[in-house]
Amino acid sequence: MSDATRIEENVTCLGCGCACDDIAVVIAGARIREARNACALGVRWFGDGSLPGAIGGGRSAAIEDVLREIATLLRSARAPLVFLAPDLTCEAQGAAIAIADQLHAFVDGVTSSTAADGILAAQRRGRASSTLGEIRNRADVVVFWAVDPSVSYPRFQSRYAPNPAGAHLPRGRRDRTVIAVDVGAQRGPEDADVRIQMTPEEEQLFLASLRASLAGRTLGSSSIVARVSELATRLGKARYAAVVIDAESPPAVASGRADSLIALTQSLNATTRCALCTLRAGGNRNGADTVLTWQTGFPMAVDFSRGAPRYEPENAAVARLTHGAVDAVLFVGNTNEIPRAVRDALGSVRIVVIGPRASESTLSAQIRIDTGVAGIHESGMALRLDDIPLPVRAVLPTPRDTASLLEALGAAIAAQAGAA
Amino acid sequence: MTRLRITGGAVHDPANGIDGEVRDICIENGRIVASLPAEAPVLRADGMVIMAGGIDIHAHIAATSVSLGRRLLPEEHSLDPVPAPALDDGSIPRSGTGGTVPSTFTTGYRYAGLGYTTVFDAAVAPVAARQTHAELDDTPIIDGGFFALLGNDEYLHRQIAAGETTRAKDYAAWILRSTGGYAIKVVNPGGVELWKRNVREVKTLDDPVGTSNVTPRRILEVLAGAANDLGLPHPVHIHCNNLGVAGNVAMTLDSMRALEGRRAHFTHLQFHSYGGERGKSWSSAARQVAEYVNAHPEVTGDVGQVMFGDATTLTADGAVEYLLHTSTGRKWINSDIELETGCGIVPYTYKDKAAVASLQWVVGLELFLLSSDPWRMVLSTDHPNGGSFMSYPDLIRLLMDRAYRDEKLKSVNQKMLAGSALADGLAREYTLNEIAIITRAGPARQLGLEAKGHLGVGADADITIYSRDADYAKMFSTPRYVLKSGTLVVEEGQLRRAPAGKRIFVRPGFDDALLRDLGKYFEAYSSIRLANYPVTGLRGAPVPTGGA
Repeated sequence: MSDATRIEENVTCLGCGCACDDIAVVIAGARIREARNACALGVRWFGDGSLPGAIGGGRSAAIEDVLREIATLLRSARAPLVFLAPDLTCEAQGAAIAIADQLHAFVDGVTSSTAADGILAAQRRGRASSTLGEIRNRADVVVFWAVDPSVSYPRFQSRYAPNPAGAHLPRGRRDRTVIAVDVGAQRGPEDADVRIQMTPEEEQLFLASLRASLAGRTLGSSSIVARVSELATRLGKARYAAVVIDAESPPAVASGRADSLIALTQSLNATTRCALCTLRAGGNRNGADTVLTWQTGFPMAVDFSRGAPRYEPENAAVARLTHGAVDAVLFVGNTNEIPRAVRDALGSVRIVVIGPRASESTLSAQIRIDTGVAGIHESGMALRLDDIPLPVRAVLPTPRDTASLLEALGAAIAAQAGAA
Repeated sequence: MTRLRITGGAVHDPANGIDGEVRDICIENGRIVASLPAEAPVLRADGMVIMAGGIDIHAHIAATSVSLGRRLLPEEHSLDPVPAPALDDGSIPRSGTGGTVPSTFTTGYRYAGLGYTTVFDAAVAPVAARQTHAELDDTPIIDGGFFALLGNDEYLHRQIAAGETTRAKDYAAWILRSTGGYAIKVVNPGGVELWKRNVREVKTLDDPVGTSNVTPRRILEVLAGAANDLGLPHPVHIHCNNLGVAGNVAMTLDSMRALEGRRAHFTHLQFHSYGGERGKSWSSAARQVAEYVNAHPEVTGDVGQVMFGDATTLTADGAVEYLLHTSTGRKWINSDIELETGCGIVPYTYKDKAAVASLQWVVGLELFLLSSDPWRMVLSTDHPNGGSFMSYPDLIRLLMDRAYRDEKLKSVNQKMLAGSALADGLAREYTLNEIAIITRAGPARQLGLEAKGHLGVGADADITIYSRDADYAKMFSTPRYVLKSGTLVVEEGQLRRAPAGKRIFVRPGFDDALLRDLGKYFEAYSSIRLANYPVTGLRGAPVPTGGA
């Protein structure tokens, strides 16, 4: 009955960090024919679900032999790196981190070269935040700071804010004020109620002036102060303000944006309620940060070389690769989604790829094993951009399950270590 | 078939009336049995002290809030790297980091290293329960469960507002069933929702939460009723309003009186037993609280002792953490969660030179020393809020050794201690059996865990064996042997094996009619689908409940 059409309801999409879990996936002939409710980005992410299922580059075609070869390669490395690429379940991420621990390797993922600023700022200051459900139900003032979610987070506005009615906002969009903060070409949403504009060069001073204004002081030129006071007034009058920023799209000119907005949103809680909402791209990126955190105490850039986790955010994967401080990399996950900076820094290092379409990866890998995509071919858990954990479900078979394969690799490494 | 006879040790098994008698403990297939054939292997424990494995009734070890706390504390973790232990059971050991909020593997290893074999996470946002299970999967050795936060849940409040107490009970059952939780937790009833509405103080149990039909009192009554009607093994687990505020004893006693005659557990009572007046003065009100609990057998509690040193305050009580952030200037996380609950985190240091911290330390000890029934007032530090679980051995010494306690008392800030019972002199010293009660038998009874906390036939073979030492802190910090489900996990003081722990959960029944109404509510307000809410694939059998 391979031609019969079936529909999988309530599927979670990992096309971006919104993790919409209301997708109805229509499947016929072992192909995804439609992803209902999905945005264009989601439709692209689901694709037709077809995947290669190859094992390439090993001297044998038998998976046990290839895992032994990978174990030998990684164990012979002086300074191996385990890299968590997108599209993994939390279970697979955990299994990959276990291998890094076993190998005394360095483990990192996409976060250290994309969204690290906000995480480091939050480690210095903490942060006042809320989950998307609270923003949907409570936020009467929503500031989009240098981000228009309709581009990279297409359903954010319809699912979370400002469009839906909420428990405390029965009229939905009409009960909310949307403020677009444009920083140069990084523009807020087109249909905002209020628009405040600045050049990238002005942002740092604007942020400083905004924080000063909330502390009852005045800072900056009259032009800046006028714009600042409009925003400060509206934030101060909010019942529950949400400030939305995009962690994947850093400011064009260094402005301390993440740090300043954390401080700002925290201090607004002296008189009203305010939450900072940080957008993250797809493929369970928050999952990688969080699983690393619960297993090691750190969200990225963890060095096991001394036998216990050490935090090296200033000397993360890209820096290490660039300095030639890595001699083998195990990529786990979708290598099409790794940051360009990582790809460019690889040089001639030995590479193993375990992930969806590994056999088609443009990385010059010695050994490749095709697995599936979290939430399309593999089941488990993934985190939304606000750290809410959601189930992800295989709607099509995987060539081989990433987490189980990594556990088998761990056993192969342990067996060799035991024999040595 | 794995068998072991432990012989020669003094057994402290208060649940079975055994107080230091030297007798054999026989183990077969992970449980305690009446006897074994003579040829069964023997573990000699001559001169040692044998107790059931420790049970922590209230800690924060596996939750989104805990991992937010972990992420906030890289400096703490950098100071306490923990290499992987050398295990000889074939499992792949894991490294980690410690500090007040250790990584998951380290949490399991360290609890087991202290002789604790069962731990409950006290505050899990139901919507995020899936992550708690994933973290517990990565927390080896200990059996784990959790309490689901319900006191500030919008759907629950709507049922209370509409007088639908039966549906509120069904919802509580559905939440426990969907999340794989063990008990109902209430944190600052109504107060977390009010914090989200920028109302920062709950003055009385009758303050309105949005509507006059919903008050802290009604929330307590409805959830205590739900837990008892559902026949849950553990009653509603209550963190009262106004935690950490001077004068809060009035609210604490009002809360207890509101539930008079009903089974209820009041947690970390130390943080709720202050006299004086907000913003003006502080004093100990431990005696009033202890006297109430002593006189009311339906009430159980745990202390939430403060220990001097570093801690991390980490709670669903977001409003409290904002105050702590502004008063200490230290970094602060707040997270408001999905119309369900909240979360606040601030690192904190209890200094013996500080007046309030010293008072808190005294209040906790007074609760221990003035409570006449140790079965109903058990040990906790609300880890990591009052201090890490790693400080339990020192706390045990404070309870067992008056000279040590009095010496320490002299060195703390005396400013707020005038008139306190401890300052006036409390001679009581806990016995080994009383320690066994407040660290294992008592929590097991409070939790309704029939196979834990004792060494009788049929009990889980979770056993801790200590070498005697006049320094009780030393004795309790390094058990000689620890068995978990019959497996020797600690031998000669070294961690040797790290089997996976089991999950402890309930699956109460509910009326399906709930789902129609809940479906509409989810459609209107939830950011996730009802179908994606329940956690699936839990292994093991649930603990039975008594209700329908």
